[in-house]
Amino acid sequence: MRIVSQKSWAWPWELRRRGVLGVNERNLNYLFELNPRCLYRLADDKVVTKSICKRQGIPVPQTYAVIERFGELQRLSEIVGDREEFVVKPARGAGGRGILVIVGQQNALFRTAKGQTVSVDDLRYHISTILSGLYSLGGQPDRVIVEQRIVPHPLFDRLAVGGTPDMRIIVFRGSPMIAMLRLPTRASKGRANLHQGAAASGIELDTGRTFGGVCRDRAITVHPDTGAPIGGHTIPHWGKMLDAAKNLSESIGMGYIGVDIVLDAHQGPAVLEANTRPGLSVQIANRAGLLPKLSIVSQPSLKQSQNRSFTSGAMAV
Amino acid sequence: MWNRHREAILVALILVLIGSVCAGLRITYARRPVLAQGDTVWRLTYDISFPSLREGRIYAAIPDNAPQSRILRESFSHEGIWTDILRSTRTLGREAVIVPVVGYKQGRFIAEFDVHLKPDRESESPPPKVKLTAEETAHYLRAEGAIQLNSPPVLDILTRLKSAQPTKAKLLEGIFEYCSENILQRGESRPSDATGALQRGVGTPLGQARAMIALCRSAKIPARVVAGFPLRSSTDSRPHYWAEVFSRNAWRSYDVENGYSGALPITFLPIRRDGIQIVRAAGPLEYQARYSVRRILPRPTLVGLPVDGFWSIADLRRLPLSMQEILALLLLLPLGALITALFRNVIGLRTFGTFTPCLIALGFIQADWRTGVVVFFVVLGVGIFARLLLSKLRLLLVARLGIIVTMVVLCMISAVSILDFFGLTPSASAVLLPVVILTMMIERFNITAEEDGYLQAFKVLAGTLVVAICCFFVLRVGGLSRVVLTFPEVQLFVAAGLLMIGRYSGYRLTELWRFRDIVQS
Repeated sequence: MRIVSQKSWAWPWELRRRGVLGVNERNLNYLFELNPRCLYRLADDKVVTKSICKRQGIPVPQTYAVIERFGELQRLSEIVGDREEFVVKPARGAGGRGILVIVGQQNALFRTAKGQTVSVDDLRYHISTILSGLYSLGGQPDRVIVEQRIVPHPLFDRLAVGGTPDMRIIVFRGSPMIAMLRLPTRASKGRANLHQGAAASGIELDTGRTFGGVCRDRAITVHPDTGAPIGGHTIPHWGKMLDAAKNLSESIGMGYIGVDIVLDAHQGPAVLEANTRPGLSVQIANRAGLLPKLSIVSQPSLKQSQNRSFTSGAMAV
Repeated sequence: MWNRHREAILVALILVLIGSVCAGLRITYARRPVLAQGDTVWRLTYDISFPSLREGRIYAAIPDNAPQSRILRESFSHEGIWTDILRSTRTLGREAVIVPVVGYKQGRFIAEFDVHLKPDRESESPPPKVKLTAEETAHYLRAEGAIQLNSPPVLDILTRLKSAQPTKAKLLEGIFEYCSENILQRGESRPSDATGALQRGVGTPLGQARAMIALCRSAKIPARVVAGFPLRSSTDSRPHYWAEVFSRNAWRSYDVENGYSGALPITFLPIRRDGIQIVRAAGPLEYQARYSVRRILPRPTLVGLPVDGFWSIADLRRLPLSMQEILALLLLLPLGALITALFRNVIGLRTFGTFTPCLIALGFIQADWRTGVVVFFVVLGVGIFARLLLSKLRLLLVARLGIIVTMVVLCMISAVSILDFFGLTPSASAVLLPVVILTMMIERFNITAEEDGYLQAFKVLAGTLVVAICCFFVLRVGGLSRVVLTFPEVQLFVAAGLLMIGRYSGYRLTELWRFRDIVQS
């Protein structure tokens, strides 16, 4: 059920009182200050992020292949082999764009998660569009990752429609600040991206229990498609996820990132990517602004020790 | 963070300061051209001599500044008399009051006026709108000695004209036509009064003007006589008379003698209104007045020759005109960026690309905007449709963009050719609509539509158009391109504005709406 808003807008001082972080302030005071440009490639390129995760012992989906050149498309059948399930994704994609999930293979025809049937040629074309940079940030030529498909945890059966949900944890100077469970909807076409219409619920950091909720920037309490309540669920392996997020943020060396983690039914948490410009709707999902939480970490007494660990994290990379 | 805020504000202030100083220096030292090409300067001389001074005073109506004629210089020299210049309600202009100085036998008054005529280049500017009070209206409808209203010929002719011309505006034209066709300037003793001129069909220029005024006043159209000098070189200029008629809330000039209807050429310099005497005497003072007009060559300083030397680099207006136009366009681009930044960072509207809206707006300013809009939407529509079909062919990025650009160019060319066929030839600059920008917009529209749905794509398209329209209306404000060209330092103010927007960390306007549910709960 959608909570019907009585207000059609909030005054700036009301938002300020609730500690809401706006886009301009996030960019100026957090991203520009804490995320050095030279480190962006560590988070923007999933091939690099994955290699960092592997080095740090952070669980990630298993990589089957990385395709870098058009020439490699000739031996696509060889790369794919007889795998029934796999995911093709751009290394520098954003917002879940360009990701193709294959859930079955029969006589060189592949079945996608959306129920379409594609041939090897179709697959080759898709990969070539990724390589030519259609989905990459800034349209630069890209690499393609062929990796293990995540089987969603049964907990999410009634919470996600047409895709895999994930956990987004925002880490500020090495401490998790706020988190949400992102749930694909019909509108988002199975992608767990809030901009595309996915829903999300807040997650209590200390317990891993879900509460609140958001969809298209409006407060909700149930999944827009299934009507199942999205609050009150406890995320399994929550502690491991927090550790993974902290670990990755320190390894990458950025002060303000969002870490996306999926929960595989068999293997547990796996980090998908780190986001250098995490969205702000997480505040609506949690019914609370980010600023008070951020200011606790930024306090001068804490700042020094935080800074030290932050710097040591950066040097570890 | 605060340090950076402070630094940004400081830099912005410094930019504004430098910009102001530059603009100030430019204003102080720039030689503004006083005379433009096509302007002329005439010297009108009054020579009034008093053979024997006696009690009394003389009023001489003198020229005044008007929109298209300006007094560049005036000089008075007098002997045996004392003068003062004042504004007169009687002649509706300036007057020189001349009073004899006690003890002098003879006197002389010489006045020179250098009149600068500047033809209105923009367009025929309409005469200024005025309102007549009831008193004024009555005044300009009155009968005078030589402007008889109730004489039989006046009433007779008016009745005839009225039956032919029902409306007032038509009647006025009818009166003018009647006077110019039926009052001729033949014969020796021509009458100078209205009745005489209408009755005998001949008249002096003054008689013609008075006949017209009498007919107008009888028809309840306020009218008055004007005395002035035609500016053409002559050592013995005679005043010329014409009529001014109050029609459609403005005084309009009619010269029956020369056939000017509604307005006179600017070379007719009005001196006195509602009266025929340039110089009139109060008291038994005798005088002789002579007037002369000659064209003079303006002094070089008036023409505003371009400044030579190193500092002329700072003067963009010395460049060829075609270069100036392009430079002005370039100089508007940062302003467009400022508007776009305002919309994106302070209001929070999404657009396709950063410079797309501004470049579209500049394209429209270059082109005629109506053709621009038609071509724009046709190209966008065809492009989006073609791109939809293309997505089935599965082409690689560069090739796909190449095909879209081909489609856009073909569309553009067809549109120009079709418009020309129907006689609506667009200006060559209509083709300047940013082809590449349109291509990228089509591509990004399709990608957004594919990824985030058509609703989102149209929202972003609408945002782009809103910003483009705002840019269009701001950037085409009259004279703006001249200002940015004359004062390139305006760019420093723009940069200061961009700096401030660049450090704006407050909420965007759209966020007040986006985050409203947080306040709610």
